[in-house]
Amino acid sequence: MSSPSSFFGGGVRLPERKSPTASLPIRKACIPAEALLPLRQHAGEPARCLVRVGDTVAEGMPIGRAAGPLSADVHASIPGVVKELREIRLPDGELSPAVVIALEGEFARTGRARTPVDWRTLSRGELLAKLEAGGVVGLDGVPAATRLRVSGRPEVLVVNGAESEPYLTCDERLMVEKAAEVLSGAAIAAAILGAGSVEVGIEANKPDALRVMAGAAAGFGCRVTALRPRYPQGEEQLMVRALTGRRVPRGGRPEDAGAVVLNVATLLAIHEAVVLDLPHIERVVTVAGEGVPLPANLKARLGTPVAALLEECGGLAGGRVIVGGAMRGFALDGLDTPLTKGMAGVLALSRRETRAAGRTACIGCGRCIAACPWELRPVELYKWLEHGELAEARSRGLGECTECGCCSYVCPARIPLLEGLASGRRRGAA
Amino acid sequence: MTAPGSPAPAPHLHAGTTTRGLMLSVAACLLPAGTWGVLVLGPRALAVLAVAVGAGLLTELLIAGLAWKSFTLADGSALLTGLLAGFTLPVSVPLFIPAVAAAFAVAVVKMTFGGLGRNWMNPALGGRLFVTFSWPALLAAGALPGPASGGGWVRVPPWQPDGSLLGGSGTLGAVSTLLLVLGSVYLLARRIVAWEIPLTFAAGYALTVWALAGLPAGGGLFRGDVPAALASGGFALAAFYMATDPVTSPQGRAGRLAFGAGCGLLSFLLRAYGGRPEGPFLAVALMNMFVPLLNRLGSPMAGKG
Amino acid sequence: MSGDFSRSLWRDNPFLIYLVGLCPALAVSTRLVNALLLGAAMLFALLGTGIVGGALERFLPPRWHLPVRLLVASALVTACDRFLSVFAPALHAGLGIYLPLLAVNCLLLGSAGRGGRPFGETALEALGMGAAFTVGLTLLALLRELLGAGTITLFPMGSFRGVLRIPGLAGQPARLLAAAPGALLALGYLSALGRWARPGRKGS
Repeated sequence: MSSPSSFFGGGVRLPERKSPTASLPIRKACIPAEALLPLRQHAGEPARCLVRVGDTVAEGMPIGRAAGPLSADVHASIPGVVKELREIRLPDGELSPAVVIALEGEFARTGRARTPVDWRTLSRGELLAKLEAGGVVGLDGVPAATRLRVSGRPEVLVVNGAESEPYLTCDERLMVEKAAEVLSGAAIAAAILGAGSVEVGIEANKPDALRVMAGAAAGFGCRVTALRPRYPQGEEQLMVRALTGRRVPRGGRPEDAGAVVLNVATLLAIHEAVVLDLPHIERVVTVAGEGVPLPANLKARLGTPVAALLEECGGLAGGRVIVGGAMRGFALDGLDTPLTKGMAGVLALSRRETRAAGRTACIGCGRCIAACPWELRPVELYKWLEHGELAEARSRGLGECTECGCCSYVCPARIPLLEGLASGRRRGAA
Repeated sequence: MTAPGSPAPAPHLHAGTTTRGLMLSVAACLLPAGTWGVLVLGPRALAVLAVAVGAGLLTELLIAGLAWKSFTLADGSALLTGLLAGFTLPVSVPLFIPAVAAAFAVAVVKMTFGGLGRNWMNPALGGRLFVTFSWPALLAAGALPGPASGGGWVRVPPWQPDGSLLGGSGTLGAVSTLLLVLGSVYLLARRIVAWEIPLTFAAGYALTVWALAGLPAGGGLFRGDVPAALASGGFALAAFYMATDPVTSPQGRAGRLAFGAGCGLLSFLLRAYGGRPEGPFLAVALMNMFVPLLNRLGSPMAGKG
Repeated sequence: MSGDFSRSLWRDNPFLIYLVGLCPALAVSTRLVNALLLGAAMLFALLGTGIVGGALERFLPPRWHLPVRLLVASALVTACDRFLSVFAPALHAGLGIYLPLLAVNCLLLGSAGRGGRPFGETALEALGMGAAFTVGLTLLALLRELLGAGTITLFPMGSFRGVLRIPGLAGQPARLLAAAPGALLALGYLSALGRWARPGRKGS
């Protein structure tokens, strides 16, 4: 049953390109010989480094301590010896200190049985402490513990299973294979928040996930709703609107409408941190695109270099390498970038897939205006920013832009609207 | 997003339309009507089109190359401008007329203001209007090459022509209108042109014709001859191809609806009371001037740029 | 001192760069001879009001400067007008109302309040502005008449009636240029050319 889309207008229908990975079960990636772990895998300050060169580290041991509410702990994803401490540039251009660990020694956690903890016996404070200790970070870079702590008492917890970006199928596979764990994470989060109900939203192009989640939801008291596939359905405000009918005020957050949105992969990490005492040391990532001979959904250790992930999928056949999604991700010029907490995909896209073209002047076609889910006028904002008029752009809604990329996607003149708006937003925030 | 030194910014997917693609699509949709016009009016029609297109391309090549040191022909807009300019001219004119019309359109209306995307009036219209007011005698429909004088290859019944590929009013105009609308169906379906503009243009025009066209002839209200008015090729070209030029039309729905309605009303007034057959062209040119104002209509974030 | 002259002519040409005193531009630039005549009249009037007005301004409080200029200008321009109507009635008819209108031309009156300077400076500046005006108007008229009517009209002398017809253009001139919109169009481009060719321009 498809609910009517939550868009009033705007958004775009993207090519899904989710086969074959949508039907490929998650498989474990090889443990890398060397893990490069950035100490900034979240929105705030880099974690404070706890180790020195030459220290022996165990799997899952904390190597970085959170340095503020928007910062999170970082743990060693492989056992070994700290080989080097260096500064690397992350794909988004920011610098971060990083720890290089060379694989050595026994695995403290992997392959050992764990007794699940009954989280219902724990208090709210204890649960939050476990999340902090596990270094669980949400998709937007905000640590889960912080998000749950400051969100007040929302009526609804929204589980974001939309995954409306093309190519990415990691959330889909998680829902098919680990539905119970995901919903358990949702139950934990709802308990911490004191939320009255849990709503699960999944795009209708994932029938298996819908089926499995709906089956499991009965036991957890959640409701599963199919959503019309349209990008960017996964945006928080649109999820809230689609699943609860509540409108988030312009420029506001879901909390203003009494809802908190959490992504499926984050909920799994919450479950693992609380019930299994597993810190955030690995994640599922979709490796796909025409430049990847054998696409797959890999469960890989954080810190694995992108090159190793591509090797596992038949090597890089060519094309533009992107980490993240195709609409918002970052193109790489080197393949030693490590896998981090928020990286859902590694894509190698051919020219045929990107359909890049030369830039011309704006012809005033208005497609960007029609495509913006927030009823903004991207080309006007872009022109104001080009002339350095940041205040004018802000007064016309620049702050409401979520950098979804719909405007650049539809532009025939290939004007770099998203890039311009994103840089304007960064300047405004600074 | 771009990180310093990174190869390409997000998003890494695009819808596939390009400026050139849009321009060439519109040009291609003019082909049926153009072919028909050439068949009826003969090789002279082809010459007019060729001269107009050639002059437009050459002008843009020279100005962009000399003044801006760049090659802009690839975006296809000069081709389209030349084609549209050629369509609106009677084919019996001396060949310098289409050349001047296209050159004026490109050089004065488009390039002087900054090139593609910066003009405030439809370039082909500007060229046509310049030529109209500069050589009025030459542009009045005179003796025309056609089947009767052995010009074309298709015989048609006598018509009230304006001598151009659009056929004026009457049978020839009606067929042209039909073919132009046929071509524009593709453009509308692919969302290459905004449907709001031709809709309100036609509605406005038809309504005012119906209500007021009887008046000049003393026939009273609501007696206008709507089919004859709508069957003119000039109206069809203006409504579907000229008014819908994205650069010179509003960008929001409300603005577009108002724009089309204004064009329709003015077309009637100029034709009926101004006695000008090229009423629709003048109407669109006039409405072009109101576009920045019309851009303010609609959504709360509208048109403040 | 000569700097004032050349500056008025090229860098700060009031007609082309600052678009001052445009009233005659539309009407009078249809024929080259009219432009030359009006330019000459403007030159005379500028010089006269500059000198006489400037001299009077030394003795008058500031609020009198403009009315005094107006009076002086009117007197001089009327003198021109009468002179021309007697000695060249046909040319006078060609100028019509635009010669008397010079009395209220912004260019003339705009120099009010700049008296009190050395006589030579005033004279040179007036000459420069007058020359600038004439040059600008003449260029405009040349463009408009050539392309808009296909002729060049000069002073009739002896058996020469004054009108030169250019073979190719005279047959089918671009009539729009002879009309008002053409004037503004041509003026726009001339102004752009003037700015582009201005000595000391920055960038492109």
